[in-house]
Amino acid sequence: MLAALLACASAGAQEPRVPLHARPRVVSLNLCTDELALRLADPGQVLSVTHLARDPLASNVADRAREVPVNRGLAEEVVPLKPDLVLVGAYTTRTATAVLRRLGFEVLELGDPQTLEEAYAQIRMVAERLGVPERGAAMVRQMEEAFARLPPVAGPRPTAVVLRPNGFTTGRGSLADELMEKAGLSNLAARLPTDKMGQLALEEIVRAAPDLVVVNAEETAPPSLADALLHHPALAPFKDRTLALPLRLWTCAGPDLAEAAVLLAAARARLSGPESRRLAAGSAHHAAAEGAR
Amino acid sequence: MPSRVVLGLGLVVLVLFCASVAVGYAPLDLGAAFGDLLAGRQSLSALVLSELRLPRAILGGAVGFSLGITGAALQGLMRNPLADPGVVGVSGAAALGAVIAFYFGFSASFALALPLGGLMGAAAATAVLLALAARGAGTVMLILAGVALSSLAGALTALALNLAPSPYAALELVFWLMGSLADRSLVHVALALPFMAVGWVLVLATGPALDALTLGEDAAESLGFPLRRVRLLVIGGTAAAVGASVAVAGAIGFVGLVVPHLVRPLVGHRPGRLLAASGLAGAALTLGADIVVRLVPTRPELQLGVVTALIGAPFFLFLLARLRGVES
Repeated sequence: MLAALLACASAGAQEPRVPLHARPRVVSLNLCTDELALRLADPGQVLSVTHLARDPLASNVADRAREVPVNRGLAEEVVPLKPDLVLVGAYTTRTATAVLRRLGFEVLELGDPQTLEEAYAQIRMVAERLGVPERGAAMVRQMEEAFARLPPVAGPRPTAVVLRPNGFTTGRGSLADELMEKAGLSNLAARLPTDKMGQLALEEIVRAAPDLVVVNAEETAPPSLADALLHHPALAPFKDRTLALPLRLWTCAGPDLAEAAVLLAAARARLSGPESRRLAAGSAHHAAAEGAR
Repeated sequence: MPSRVVLGLGLVVLVLFCASVAVGYAPLDLGAAFGDLLAGRQSLSALVLSELRLPRAILGGAVGFSLGITGAALQGLMRNPLADPGVVGVSGAAALGAVIAFYFGFSASFALALPLGGLMGAAAATAVLLALAARGAGTVMLILAGVALSSLAGALTALALNLAPSPYAALELVFWLMGSLADRSLVHVALALPFMAVGWVLVLATGPALDALTLGEDAAESLGFPLRRVRLLVIGGTAAAVGASVAVAGAIGFVGLVVPHLVRPLVGHRPGRLLAASGLAGAALTLGADIVVRLVPTRPELQLGVVTALIGAPFFLFLLARLRGVES
C-alpha cells in the first residue's frame, strides 16, 4: 500500500514541469498560508485550503474559502491533488510536511513574521512563488498606505495590554507590539515579566491598571474556559476602557494588520477625547488610593 | 476527644485559608485591601482580594471539604478502604456532565446548568457503584467497576470536548481531568457552594448509620437504619457535593482517598465521627496543594490534581500493598 503510494507520488513528481507561464497550483495546510494563497492567487490556482479558513471567527477569507475544497492538514489529502507547491506553517502539520517533503513535493514553509518589514517580505516572497509578484507588491503598498494614514502620535502614550484567550498576551518584539506602537499606545506587557507570547495572571493585569485593555475575543465565540477568563468579574471595572479586537485581524501577517492598527488608534483617540478626563480621574483616584499606603 | 480533633483541624484550615489569601502573583497589601473592601472603596487591591484571592480560597476549602467528606462516606458505606470519588469514577462522571453543560451552551443560557450537569453525572456514577455494592460486590470488583467508569467518563469527556464548537475546548481536557482553582470567581462560589452545603448536610446525616454499619448490614437494619435510606442519602450527598465541586474546579483526585486514612486513627475509627474530620482535613490538603501550585514557578500554572496525585498515588499503592497483606 505504502509502496503503491510512493510509486504514485514519485510518478507525479516526475511529470514534466509545468510551463513557465502557467502559475503553480497550490495546496495550503495552515490558516495563515490559506489567507495569503486565497488573496494572492487566481481562483483556480488554489486546490485546497484548511477547514479553518471557512470559520468566520478565525479566518479573514471565510467567503472565498467556501468556493475551495478544504483539508484537515493530512498528507494523504494532499497527495492525490498533485499540487505544484504546498504552503505550510513553520509550527503546524509537522508530520504531514515531513511526509510531503519525503515524497518529493515542493514545500514552502512560512514562519511567523515578528515585524511589519518581515510581513511585507513574506507577502512579496509568497506572491513571487505563486507567479503573481505584482499582486504581492500591490498588497504591501496598500498596507503601507493604510499605516501612513494613521493619525500622528502626539502627547503621552496611554498604556494598553492585550488579553487573549487563556490569559495570553503579546509582549516585546511581537507584531502586535509594533502595531500598538504605531497606534500610539504603550504596551504594558513589554514591561511586565513576559516574553513574546507570555501568559499573564489576572492579578498582574488588574494591579498594572492599564489605560486600555485590548481583548482578543468574539462575543459570539462558543463557550470555553479560555474565553471565560476574558469575562472574569475582576476585569469588570475596566469595561469602559476595553477594546474588543477580533483575534483574526492580527493572527496572520496580512492586510488586516492595518485594520487592527486603525481600530487601536481609534480606541486611543477615544481615550484622549472628552471621555478620557473621567477615565484619567479614575486612574488618578486608583493611584491616590494605592499611593496612600 | 473527637471534638478536639475537629477543632484542631478547623484551626489548620483557617491558617491555610489565610495563607491562600496571602499568596498570589502580584504583591498585595492585605490590610489595606481588607480596609478598602470593608469600606466599599473600589481600589485595585480590594478588587484583587474580592474577585480573585477570596473566591480561590473559599473554593479550595469547600472543594476539599466535599472531597474529604464524600471519600469518608463512600469508604464507610461500601466498607471499602479504596473508595474515593476520583478512584471510583464519580468525579470523572461529574466532569462529563459539567463539560456537556458548559461547552454546548446550556450554562450560558441557564447558569445553574453547570453545577446541575456535574450533579447528574456524579449521581449516575454513584448510583451504579452503590447498586454493585448492594449486590455484594467485593473490594476488587468495586474498584474495577470504578476504573471502568472512570475510563468511560474520561473518554466521553474527551469526545465531548472534541465535538464542542470552541477551538479551545479540546485543549481544556487537562482542566477537567486534573482540576484547578486558577481564576475562579465569586460567580463560581455562588453557583457551587449551595449545592456543596446541601451535600455536606445529607452526608453528615448518615453518620450514626455508618457507625451502625460497622456491625454489619443486618445489625444496622435492626438498629433502625434502613440501608435503602442511607444509600440514597450518600448518593444524593455525594452527587451534590462532588458534582458541584467538579463543575467549578475540575476533577481533583486522591483527596477523598488519602484524607480518611490519615484522620481515621484520630477519631477512634468511628466512621460517623470521621465524616466532619475528614472534610476538614480534605479542605486543608486542597488549600495546601493550591498554595503549592502558586509557589512553584511554572507558567501556565500547574494543575491542582498534579500535586494531589503526587501525594495520593504513592499512598494508593501503599494502601494496596497493605490490603494485600491483610487478605493473604
